[in-house]
Amino acid sequence: MEETNYQPPTAIDADADARLQAVVNTSLDGMIIVDDDGRVCVVNATAEVLLRRKASNLLGQPFGLPFMVGEVAEISLLQANGALIAAEMRAASITWMGAPAQLIVLRDLTEQHRIQETLRDAEGFSRAILNSLSHHIAVLDENGTIVMANDAWRQFAVENGDPQLLTTGVGANYFSICATSSSDESVEVPTVLDGMRRVLHGDLPIFELEYPCNSPDTERWFHMRAVPLYGQRRGLVISHTDITEQRRHAWAIAEAETLREQLQARERELLAVSAISSAQRARSIARPQRADSSLRTDNPDTFQICINRYSDILEKAVDARGFALVPDVDLPTRTLATYLGQQHAAARDVVEMHLASLRSRSFGASLERQQAYLEEGRVLALQLMGYLVAYYRDEVTL
Amino acid sequence: MSTIVLQLFIAGRTPRTERAIATLQQLITDRLGDYPCELVIIDVITDPQQAEERQIFATPTLIKESPLPQRRIIGDLADTEGLLTALNLPPVSMS
Repeated sequence: MEETNYQPPTAIDADADARLQAVVNTSLDGMIIVDDDGRVCVVNATAEVLLRRKASNLLGQPFGLPFMVGEVAEISLLQANGALIAAEMRAASITWMGAPAQLIVLRDLTEQHRIQETLRDAEGFSRAILNSLSHHIAVLDENGTIVMANDAWRQFAVENGDPQLLTTGVGANYFSICATSSSDESVEVPTVLDGMRRVLHGDLPIFELEYPCNSPDTERWFHMRAVPLYGQRRGLVISHTDITEQRRHAWAIAEAETLREQLQARERELLAVSAISSAQRARSIARPQRADSSLRTDNPDTFQICINRYSDILEKAVDARGFALVPDVDLPTRTLATYLGQQHAAARDVVEMHLASLRSRSFGASLERQQAYLEEGRVLALQLMGYLVAYYRDEVTL
Repeated sequence: MSTIVLQLFIAGRTPRTERAIATLQQLITDRLGDYPCELVIIDVITDPQQAEERQIFATPTLIKESPLPQRRIIGDLADTEGLLTALNLPPVSMS
């Protein structure tokens, strides 16, 4: 530690100077005392380290006078090796050696900046992850204000009437958005608000709800999920996932199950008719019911003809539905049943033909069209099975 | 009438340095418009030689080269009124 006595101290100041010198010497912050011209009078060891310069090279040199708007200024210190480090500067007007001077306090911000940079990186990483998800995700503070929303959330808002994100973007209150909702899901609003508040207050670990959210031209279903925001800040993470496809799929499976049960009932009826027939006739009307026997395996060409005829009827039925007409498919269905009867077809053959036809028709069709094939196909298959049963029964009674 | 020469030492273009430059340019236009004025901006990153020759220890540093007495200040250069006082500008003999 060195000192330039460019102005001799007075006896009155000597005591105060000694105390100040002791403080400067022991401070962990960098401290420099500059005179009224900004020249270095005193520099402590920490300041030497910060500037990578020896006190002997600093004393008497023009460091400059501190100029601050507030209490603290952020500056860069230029080290002897040319490197720059960020530092916080504070200053106080003092008297040193009986003359006006400035005490400059310097604190290294390198570590603080590194931490901030790391936090920014971490935040950027989290944001990148959230933006890579297709779920619509928003983070709410404890008052329900949206503090962050991912790209999918913003995109959905833009596409659904809030292009400027004024009512559903960051800064908007999600509780208020829900409370003023006037669409189909408004009946769910009290449940949603209650669920979110209970999760926020720790009464529920999670709140989930499936709700309809139809657009003007499409039926849509969403799954909402609210989980608490873990960490120092209380809040909620809200996600909405479009589950329309899953719903449609589940509905199609249920439809298929219903159809299967109804076809099984028809099959039992058909078997009963066959049994009666066997008792009355020498030959069986329906084909032998071996496990590996079917029209598809025994006579693929005929099976393909049946599929084509069935598909044509199905196509007509779906087209008629599109024009809100009653489909005129009764006669071709009855004719196909007769043809199937002549081939000694069984219920299993009808089911296989039906499924093969659905597969070929649905390939590449729109979701609405696929839905129509499913619904019309169910009716058609049952109708066809009914005619086939009637065909065999008539045969029996002949 | 001697020219007012100001030298501003900065370390790269950051929002802080941009703000300091804007304040100085505004100060020159609004408050020193009646005086011949020169503002020299030196980036210590691209011109370390100048920084060494002028014994620059921190940025931003603003030096009033002339008129004498020379004045050197460091810190937030964001207050035009305060800067005028700190730099003793406009010079009494010139006003």
